[in-house]
Amino acid sequence: MITVSHLSKTYYDPDGKSLQVLKDVNCEIHPGEVISIIGPSGTGKSTFLRALNLLDPPTGGSIIVDGEDILKKGYPVHKLRQKMGMVFQNFNLFDHMTVLENVMFAPCKIRKVSLEEAREEGMALLRKVGLAEKADVYPATLSGGQKQRVAIARCLAMKPEVILFDEPTSALDPTMVGEVLSVIRQLAGEGMTMLIVTHEMKFARDVSTRIFFMYEGVIHEDGPAQQVFEAPRRSATKAFVQRIRKEVFEVEGRDFDFLGMHTRINRFCIKYNIAEKRATADRLCDIMLQDIMADCLPMTVRITFSELSGETFLDFMVEGMERSPLQADGVNPASLETVRSLCKEIVEEPTTRGYRVKLKI
Amino acid sequence: MGVLACSSGQEQSVQIQSEADLSGHRVATTAGTCYDIDLSQRKDLELHRFNNNADALQSLLNGVTDVLVEDETVFNSQIRKEYGIKIAFKGTQSFPTAFMFQKGDAALAQACTATQNRMIEDGSMARIKAYWVGEKYADEEHFSHIPEETEGTPIRVAAATATAPISFLVESDWYGLEMDILRELSRDLHRPLDIKYYDPASAILALKSGLVDVVSGGVFITPEREQEFLFSEPYHAFHSAFFVVDTEASRDSGGVLQALKKSIRRNLLTEKRWVYIVQGLWETLKISFLAILLGSVLGVGLYAMARSRRKWVRSAASLYNGFIAGIPELVLLLILFYVVFAGSGLPPDLVAVVSFALCFASGASDIYATSLDAIPYGQTEGGLALGFTHRQTFFHIVFPQALRRGLPLYKAQCVSILKGTSIVGYIAIQDLTRAGDIIRSRTFDALVPLLLVTIIYFLLVWLIGLLLKLAMPSKKVL
Repeated sequence: MITVSHLSKTYYDPDGKSLQVLKDVNCEIHPGEVISIIGPSGTGKSTFLRALNLLDPPTGGSIIVDGEDILKKGYPVHKLRQKMGMVFQNFNLFDHMTVLENVMFAPCKIRKVSLEEAREEGMALLRKVGLAEKADVYPATLSGGQKQRVAIARCLAMKPEVILFDEPTSALDPTMVGEVLSVIRQLAGEGMTMLIVTHEMKFARDVSTRIFFMYEGVIHEDGPAQQVFEAPRRSATKAFVQRIRKEVFEVEGRDFDFLGMHTRINRFCIKYNIAEKRATADRLCDIMLQDIMADCLPMTVRITFSELSGETFLDFMVEGMERSPLQADGVNPASLETVRSLCKEIVEEPTTRGYRVKLKI
Repeated sequence: MGVLACSSGQEQSVQIQSEADLSGHRVATTAGTCYDIDLSQRKDLELHRFNNNADALQSLLNGVTDVLVEDETVFNSQIRKEYGIKIAFKGTQSFPTAFMFQKGDAALAQACTATQNRMIEDGSMARIKAYWVGEKYADEEHFSHIPEETEGTPIRVAAATATAPISFLVESDWYGLEMDILRELSRDLHRPLDIKYYDPASAILALKSGLVDVVSGGVFITPEREQEFLFSEPYHAFHSAFFVVDTEASRDSGGVLQALKKSIRRNLLTEKRWVYIVQGLWETLKISFLAILLGSVLGVGLYAMARSRRKWVRSAASLYNGFIAGIPELVLLLILFYVVFAGSGLPPDLVAVVSFALCFASGASDIYATSLDAIPYGQTEGGLALGFTHRQTFFHIVFPQALRRGLPLYKAQCVSILKGTSIVGYIAIQDLTRAGDIIRSRTFDALVPLLLVTIIYFLLVWLIGLLLKLAMPSKKVL
């Protein structure tokens, strides 16, 4: 139905600076799929969605919809958008029209449906999203959740084949997220093809047939919801779905500001409510950096905390090392013993660029 | 005989019997006249210069000034009785008066002198002088009318006064002493006359920039003017008279209603003076409407410039807006008429339309910006995402919303232009305000013409509001 290949998008500032938001996006979307697009902010999720209906035209690559290249010059973009609806984060309802007029307007003007028919269809759709009684009020009087449901009804009025949801609940008060998600869930049940950019992980997991995890301008991982959430193949995916928070230190050499690092680790622990782990983390850093791994500089130190599992790790990564620094000659066995006693688990593993010691605390 | 001059409430018993007595007094005069120039040299009195002698008279009646200096023939016995003023004394000096021509136009100046000399020889000069400035002159009589030439290049005349007996309007025709001389000149040269009413300062500007060939209206010969312009031989020497309020005069008191009735008759019905109002109204409407139309279109261009991607285009737009904001409308109008378009032969009303359109465009582009930019981009996106084209999105969704925001501002701008057009008299257009002036310079009555003009402007403003209300999009969109 939709085939995207090598899609890229670069924004250019007036003063010549450029920012590549989409690097190389490739995917195929089939009818009936419900795809949630997840990922950290700033990785191009919304840009990708808005590139699909050309609200933000891509700068490279191709998009084939029903066999037609929509980036071809002279392609009737408005025709494409008639079958590819979009629901926005900020609803974008027409403020000067009543709720019913919002829903009827496009069918009347574009599909040339008679007023009577449009009214009936419009009321049916409003009933479907539970807002029939608000038909004659203006959007300004509605709550955020109600507005978004009207926006969905307005989108459905054009009888689209695909609907793109661009963070449909991000602008909503938490109490109103549910009413919007249940409408989307209902559409999924009816077999509507949908792409949803969302931060609602539980919803994404429940409703999607497929997940795109976007990271640094590409679809970093693409798979069934269960697999992506429970057994992510890529570490970035894992970090994201397990909601891993981290603080990274590049220890260049002896002159590194070790005291400053302690302060930042302390602050990290307090921020994520693991203040009780501060002393352990401090101790371990001291022993590792001053004693066991003192000769391994430069190295990268990282403290991570998974909000999902509650696990905290201290990682020590050294580039170009072939075996674990803990196994090196001259490591003080007493120090090693202290480390063992302080942490719950020690993982020594090779990485693509070197060796990593993970201490679970 | 002593004269009692009243000044704003407090009674002052002052004797003004000669020019020496003027010392320390407030003297009203018409700007640019020979009396203005003459009295300017006296530092011991307070000279109040008015745009026309109707205003000057009003200031005397209101006690703003103590004495009014004017040609003795202007306020004839009938008018003196009407307004309760009298001649305190007559000036000792005489002011030779002539027609004024461009420096390079010696042929016309000589032709004028030749006509005057012929008129002196054949006795016609004596006859018209006896008629206009002699003892027998009476304003309300009907006047001699010399048939006019219609073929040939017109002699363009700036009439710098519209007051009897020098030159004045009756039913849109010019009459008076100078007009009779000019008609003889017209007949001698076989060229028709094209007479426009300027105020004295503008008339001199118009002659300087070649918009007219001759300035009439009791032009007094001064050495400064002789350096810049050519004069015909003086055809008459006028004498000044100093008028004061006649405290002993019995103002006829027939009740307010009676007075108003009389005033309306004098200001509107006599000599069909209401015609000036109708013509002025048409002129005001025409200039305002065309300026608004042209300005609205130019405003679109200016708005597009302000939204341009090129920095220099945006700068040009903002420079233009800054320029228009910083220049008074009157100054812009004068510059366009007397400098920029001086040699182009464009009719004054067209220049006025252009001038006001330039001002309106600046305001209009601001209004477009404030009303269109206030519509969030989300409205456009919402329309596009449903499958509307850019054009449909603009006209169906953005424009109706912007219109609702912009119309009140647009209305204010239209009203401001409508009222702003009241300055077009400076470039010899007889608009509504000028129509009031013309009537006042015949009747010297301030109240009725000003009141009428005010009421008409008020109605026009109300009408604009009504029209724009009709343009307001209805709440129903489908």
